Amino acid sequence: MFRKGNSKNHHINNNDNQETNLDSVLDSSSQLVDYLLQKCHQTSDLKILTISNLTLFFIDNQVNQSEFNLNIIRRLNNQTNYKIDDVINVISVGDIEKSSDISYALLSVLKGSVCIYTNGIQELILIKIPSNNNRSLSKPENESQVIGSQVGFNESLSTNVSLIRRSLATPDLKNEFYIIGRRTNTGVSVLYIEGLASNDLVQRMRERLSSIDIDGLLDSAELNQLINDNSLSIFPQMLLTERPDRVCHGLLNGKITVLVDGSPMAILCPLSFIEFFESKEDYNVRWPIASFVRLLRITAVFLSVFFTALYVAALTFHYEVIPQALLVPLGESRSRVPFPPLFEAILLEFIIELLREAGARLPTKVGQTMGIVGGIVIGTAAVQAGFTSNILIIIVALGALASFTTPSYTMGSLIRVIRFPILILAGFWGFYGIMFGFCFIMIHLLRLTTLGSPYMAPFYPPRFKDWVDSIVRLPFRFIYKRQALPRPADKQKYNPDEVN
Amino acid sequence: MHVQQKIKPNYLVNAFLVFFVVHATQIGVGLQGFQRIIYRDAHQDAWISVLIAGLGTSILVFVIIKTLELYESSDIYGIHYDVYGFFFGRLFNAIYIFYVLICFFVVLRNYIEVIQAWVFPELSLWFLSLSIILLVVYGITSGIRSMVGIAFFSVTLSLWLLVFLVYPLQYARWDQMLPMMEADILSLLKGAYNMTFTMLGFEILYVIYPYIKEKKKVQKFAQFGLLFSTIIYVALMIVAIIYFSGMQLERTIWATLSLFKIVRLPFIERFEYVAITYWMLIILPNLIFYMWSACRGIKRMFNIEETKSVWFFSAIILIAVQFIVTRTQVNMINDYFAKFAFYVVVCYPFVLYATAWLRKRVSS
Repeated sequence: MFRKGNSKNHHINNNDNQETNLDSVLDSSSQLVDYLLQKCHQTSDLKILTISNLTLFFIDNQVNQSEFNLNIIRRLNNQTNYKIDDVINVISVGDIEKSSDISYALLSVLKGSVCIYTNGIQELILIKIPSNNNRSLSKPENESQVIGSQVGFNESLSTNVSLIRRSLATPDLKNEFYIIGRRTNTGVSVLYIEGLASNDLVQRMRERLSSIDIDGLLDSAELNQLINDNSLSIFPQMLLTERPDRVCHGLLNGKITVLVDGSPMAILCPLSFIEFFESKEDYNVRWPIASFVRLLRITAVFLSVFFTALYVAALTFHYEVIPQALLVPLGESRSRVPFPPLFEAILLEFIIELLREAGARLPTKVGQTMGIVGGIVIGTAAVQAGFTSNILIIIVALGALASFTTPSYTMGSLIRVIRFPILILAGFWGFYGIMFGFCFIMIHLLRLTTLGSPYMAPFYPPRFKDWVDSIVRLPFRFIYKRQALPRPADKQKYNPDEVN
Repeated sequence: MHVQQKIKPNYLVNAFLVFFVVHATQIGVGLQGFQRIIYRDAHQDAWISVLIAGLGTSILVFVIIKTLELYESSDIYGIHYDVYGFFFGRLFNAIYIFYVLICFFVVLRNYIEVIQAWVFPELSLWFLSLSIILLVVYGITSGIRSMVGIAFFSVTLSLWLLVFLVYPLQYARWDQMLPMMEADILSLLKGAYNMTFTMLGFEILYVIYPYIKEKKKVQKFAQFGLLFSTIIYVALMIVAIIYFSGMQLERTIWATLSLFKIVRLPFIERFEYVAITYWMLIILPNLIFYMWSACRGIKRMFNIEETKSVWFFSAIILIAVQFIVTRTQVNMINDYFAKFAFYVVVCYPFVLYATAWLRKRVSS
């Protein structure tokens, strides 16, 4: 888990800046004990054991107790005068390594290693036996799919890396390890396929990670915002996903993924706007269905963002555009409503958002009841009380439903939020306001970049060859080229003639 | 100031995007109602006038690009310096900046006029102009690539509006096209002359040229852009001729919008409301590129960043717009502007080409 792969050069440690006379610490066991106790401020769970000429350090509860007793304590005795290699030979557990770097050893102890000091020798033995307090692998909660793998990441970095390695058994898969957070010393892994991912982008990612100087890093969602291109924008520029298959698919297309220890979400980048509406399942189902679903999602976005706004604009300013046959039922349903359309719509959107947020916070079982009670009872009652019109309820519910079709949760919540400014623009300035909002969003999207690449690709800059796998997903023989966005070193996935 | 411009590769745009830039800057407010002024002179042969105007733009663009090709990577401001020297170069640059600002002004004012006439009679002038100018400033501060992107989306996302031109065809009377070739050459040319205001926009090439990656392909894609615009103009002209009767067309100020007016779908009527507001997307590249041309001029002459000068120009335009209130004033401005633009865009490129060519000959 700790310091995996071939990445020792990239080890960043912001922990100890004032390393003084560390050389003398390893001279005798009492000096080491003093040093460690002082460094850990006499914390009560730092345990120190002495067996013969060995001194053992570990943090209580961070190491696996049964393994510790069975494979370490029991194998050492008070009679022998141990040499460093004897210890390694006797102990047959865990990931054993030697180090003379005291601060590294301390960090390792904090992460669940037992540190053994042999009196007078300038080297420490580190035995990694972390207590296994991880959640078992389970279904991805937020990104479920019908066909395809049903496993999601969990909170352990090593498990997550191994989940990816299981699918990508290639020596080219490279793992670069970083430690970020002055106080949390969180392990961060950058994974990419050497020879596929563009060196420029990997270098850019390295620079962004190295430039982070933050107090604590607890989740990849935080890191995502720290390494974004534009952190002021409402649009996510990197994907957060809990699906290993989605990550592997991205890696195979030359993208870069970042995993954070303690977070079940992987960051995938660079990712263009349209790719937030794609899901791994699109490749698992047949192409007409995949294309249909993708078009559906895009339509849903427009519906979700603009439909309520169009209703409000048409009813407030542009009665003329509604055909007579439609105007009569609209008028009837609004006849008892005392509010202007804007207020009516904002009220209803607000109720829907309340229901959604309550549903997300409440326990699953209560949440479902809540949805039914809220949706049906409040909806019916609101109409009967003359608060809102039937038709608006349909429109708002449709908009809410449509916003949930987006496979990425961050993009989905953005779509729900962005509705409100558009709604207000529509309520004040009608179609003109909506169009102003549309143009503004368009310019904003054109300004954005994802890891330095244009966010609106493949539409702008137009890469017509990539369109076959963007809003539609054509059969495999047509999508044999990798997307140009991550600038992959190897542009062709396979020979299209050999694929059915 | 250096005559040649060295643009960093990450600011360059692909040559084929010139198609969208030229087309997007050409299509603008003029399209909403150019049919009437052409019809006045050429009657049922007005579409031939449009065709002649299209041919004229093609020749003009040819000359413009030939001028630019004399210099490897320069814009009109640099060429002016090289041809006319320091003082006169600045004078001509100032005139050109004035011209593009007037272009901006006219496009903006005409669009606001349409909004006020059709959709929101009560919405104030300052609010409409401020909101559009804010979009323009936002667009310009996002850099050249994003601006070309706006032109690209402006074209691609408005193509669907063309579909609704089929709708009036069910009421078409094709015999209104007849008799063909009745107009004499002079009326045809007069009609073509009246197209100036509508056809404008391709002069953006004078400024954007250094930013294009493969300079050899510019000619081809610019001509394609012109061709596409001309096709749209001719199609709209023909639809207007066959849909409206002659008397009616002469009294219809915004014929294209009136064509949209009759579109009737199960869920929407009076389609011009949608079309007019959607037109914001169509005029956005016009405004952005005109404003940017002016800012480029300032950048080239005084080395003041575009992101700064754009605020200055925006403030000037915002104030100036408030003084043109009535429809008569707008018309007057349009007429003066059309004359001014005719000299700048139609006559001047030949002069500039000749002088630049001479300058090159003399220096070598």
